[in-house]
Amino acid sequence: MATLSLDALRKTYPNGFTALHGIDLAIDDGELIVVVGPSGCGKSTLLRMLAGLESISDGELAIDGRRVNDLEPAERDIAMVFQNYALYPHMSVADNMGYALKNRGVPKAERRRKVEETARLIGLEDLLDRRPRQLSGGQRQRVAMGRAIVREPKVFLFDEPLSNLDAKLRVQMRIEIRRLQKRLGVTAVYVTHDQVEAMTLADRLVVMNGGHIEQVGTPMHLYERPASRFVAGFIGSPAMNFLDARRADGDLALPCGTRIATSHEVHNDAVCLGIRPEHLSRVSEADDTTLTTRVELVEPLGADTLAHVRLDGQEEPLVARLDGVQPVAEGDTLYLRPDASRLHLFDLDTGRRLDDKDIHSCPSSPSSRLA
Amino acid sequence: MRYRRPGLDIASHAVLILALLAFCLPVWLAFTAATHDQASLYTSTAPLWFGDQGLGNFRSVLSEPVARLGTDVTRLLLNSTVMALGIACGKIIIAILAAYAIVFFRFPLRRLCFWLIFITLMLPVEVRIMPTYKIAADLNLLNSYAGLILPLIASATATFLFRQFYLTVPPELLEAARVDGAGPWRFLKDILLPLSKTNIAALFVIMFLYGWNQYLWPLLITTESDYMTIVVSLKRLLSSADNLVPWQAVMATALLAMLPPVAVIVLMQRYFVKGLVDAEK
Repeated sequence: MATLSLDALRKTYPNGFTALHGIDLAIDDGELIVVVGPSGCGKSTLLRMLAGLESISDGELAIDGRRVNDLEPAERDIAMVFQNYALYPHMSVADNMGYALKNRGVPKAERRRKVEETARLIGLEDLLDRRPRQLSGGQRQRVAMGRAIVREPKVFLFDEPLSNLDAKLRVQMRIEIRRLQKRLGVTAVYVTHDQVEAMTLADRLVVMNGGHIEQVGTPMHLYERPASRFVAGFIGSPAMNFLDARRADGDLALPCGTRIATSHEVHNDAVCLGIRPEHLSRVSEADDTTLTTRVELVEPLGADTLAHVRLDGQEEPLVARLDGVQPVAEGDTLYLRPDASRLHLFDLDTGRRLDDKDIHSCPSSPSSRLA
Repeated sequence: MRYRRPGLDIASHAVLILALLAFCLPVWLAFTAATHDQASLYTSTAPLWFGDQGLGNFRSVLSEPVARLGTDVTRLLLNSTVMALGIACGKIIIAILAAYAIVFFRFPLRRLCFWLIFITLMLPVEVRIMPTYKIAADLNLLNSYAGLILPLIASATATFLFRQFYLTVPPELLEAARVDGAGPWRFLKDILLPLSKTNIAALFVIMFLYGWNQYLWPLLITTESDYMTIVVSLKRLLSSADNLVPWQAVMATALLAMLPPVAVIVLMQRYFVKGLVDAEK
């Protein structure tokens, strides 16, 4: 049970490389924050700084209002789940889980009781005498979780804990982590590069890029109102399509001649237009609000079909998510109509969102979702 | 690989049995010779069967002072055991601590320290034996267990081996231990040492044999028979200017000298294999 406050946290390595350029974030009690971003964006460094495994070059980190910059990891009252679990290979599951308690001088009987209690909570009670190497990947993951839970820390830190599991187990453990975190009510920071994991787990998402925070918000807010082209491209799968567009008489004109009516109050002449694959719908006939495209690749997923299509004058192929199984084949011509109410406009130079004050383009605003 | 060919089986067994004979025959001859009396050894060729002394020669070298040595073999075995154990344990403890410092701590001149240790690998004992003797003499270490052990107690090889092993320990293990509240000593005691069990067992065997088989250094540093080691004594038993060599005593002593190393290997092999099976994941 704790709040975390990060105030202008910076990390500069002795060789002069700056990994983090001032991170500001306030984390509420019991909140699950997911930090997501591409490799090298500094998300793991940030987590390790929270854990105390990496020193803080500048700024202030406080847990429950107490400055912890210079405290050892153990003194910060945090627990960390590592990507490769980092279980002690020579200790039994029970000893692995009880090691932190032992170091804290908790008496043996109490230690045993707490370990057993936690093992029951996460379904490990039959495995307490096993060694880590006798466990499957999912079970090891569970032990790593148990080791974190048993100490009743103020904050859980997760460093890509599911990336070594197979897809099915990952989904299952994801749900379990979420359930446990809510049940225990412990504040948690979770680092991942998997945006599906990020969307499904997070109370709030932090998208990082190049040592900066790009945007902080609820997953749906980030999905519906990405603050920058980077966030727009990172959140959502398949990724958002981007097109160059110009303003013409209040509409947006694409190089191929298509005109899209928009309610956005935009003053730039040239903008970057973002359309999510699920906001392109197939129509039977072309008119001046549709895109005429040629199909390059079809990925039938069952519930829907992904069509990778090429638009004349556009370098990158577009992706459209079509409902159900669609009778399309490579080489077909496909007419796609963008949903004009769900467009995203970004500045060509800065990549920032252009319609920040405009709300009616966003039918379900995050505040209404939260309520 | 396994081929199902009877001819190959016979041939490989023949080679193995020949090699076994080649290795065992000298030991067998030593054993049979140790059961004869001196006179019969000088009147016939090397006997292939036991003589009439039974284990009497063993009993006498163990309990009575042996001629030319001035002490009994029990004392020699004790001296050798103290020296070999001291060297093996000392080397392992020092190597573990040195490698721990080099791998897990950041301190100024860390690399220099490592390379200085590493360079001593290239200097065998014989090269630095005169200065070492001078230092040992100045420190009054002649004719003492400390003198036998201390100059041989540091090992670059062992330090290097432990360093290589520590480098393979995932850094997350250290981080997990730090988060779990284990300080440097606890990490060494609770995590690193149990993980190094196999390495320690292997090095103990190697270093014990190294210590046991030392010849030159004990020969230089000991002049009193109270501190003589059994390996040195064997040579002394043979070097007779005028008298007949007491072959039955030499053989008995040689066989006794073999026993502790064999015991160490047999005993440690079990830990060795257990460690291999247990500690690795």
